[in-house]
Amino acid sequence: MTAVSRDEQRSNTSVSSPPSDVPGPMDWVAALTGGGPEQASALRELHALMLRAAAHQVWRMRPALPDPSPSAVDVIVNQAADEAMTALLAKLHTFEGRSRFTTWAFKFAILQAATEVRRLQWQHREVELRDLDVPSAPRHEDPELYAEGNDLAAAVAAAMRGVLTPYQRRIAIALLVDGIPIDVLADRLGTNRGALYKTLHDLRVRLRTELTTNGYLPVHPANPPNPAPSDASSRISPTPTAGTP
Amino acid sequence: MSTTPRPDSAALTPRNVSALLQDTTPWLSCDECFDRVDSYAEALVHDPTYRDEAMAAHLRGCAACDEEAESLLRLLDGR
Repeated sequence: MTAVSRDEQRSNTSVSSPPSDVPGPMDWVAALTGGGPEQASALRELHALMLRAAAHQVWRMRPALPDPSPSAVDVIVNQAADEAMTALLAKLHTFEGRSRFTTWAFKFAILQAATEVRRLQWQHREVELRDLDVPSAPRHEDPELYAEGNDLAAAVAAAMRGVLTPYQRRIAIALLVDGIPIDVLADRLGTNRGALYKTLHDLRVRLRTELTTNGYLPVHPANPPNPAPSDASSRISPTPTAGTP
Repeated sequence: MSTTPRPDSAALTPRNVSALLQDTTPWLSCDECFDRVDSYAEALVHDPTYRDEAMAAHLRGCAACDEEAESLLRLLDGR
């Protein structure tokens, strides 16, 4: 029985908590580090898993590719699978068996493939870090049009000027208004996704605090006002918004 | 080389406002999200009502992590 088939067999028993009395997820680790023919076989099986997940991801994002032809997709898939496999093997010692090994492996390929597609999507586009350029005072020419939503937008713009640093404003505009993918922006700025997300989190906390103080947000809101239209097919998060203007 | 598209500078759109005011607490980093997304996706496949507030908050606030988590879920679902 191969490492893959052992892992698949577990999946028929339980998705989230593999039983401990059957060959466990660590079999993959043993096979991949043990040497000999079993290691070579496990490496081939792992690469097949990486290809499967990378293909799944690239085909999901295919419309975003500058060249969405099947041959171009194949090149991206193979490159992403190779790089994901290298990344996984470097982190193999961190696998703790909290999920099936195959699921754990898939996420490396999905991350690598998604990052590569976004990079290709933006490779010929200039990324501009610009400051807020909306008017500081609301326009009242047409009071009928100046409804609650516009008032809130003006309040948000005022809060951005008042409580955010210029750097925070530029990151907010780039990610949340201009829709630059977070890993593309991180790459252009020589930083990483985590650091930019921390900036985003901090500036959101500042904005929410300011808007709450000024009476635009309830004290303990469960959700922000004017929620963005949610993707009805998304089961992962109700209203993903970052980077999707 | 094209440049970043400029939005209408007259106002932030409702979607912009929603994104800017998204509540991303409790805090979870992108690295922590990556560490947990495999077990999170498996838990969701097993029980669609499963909730992890920190993961949900992070995925609402990070479009890249959300896309990858959704993709993993669909791969596990066979869709």
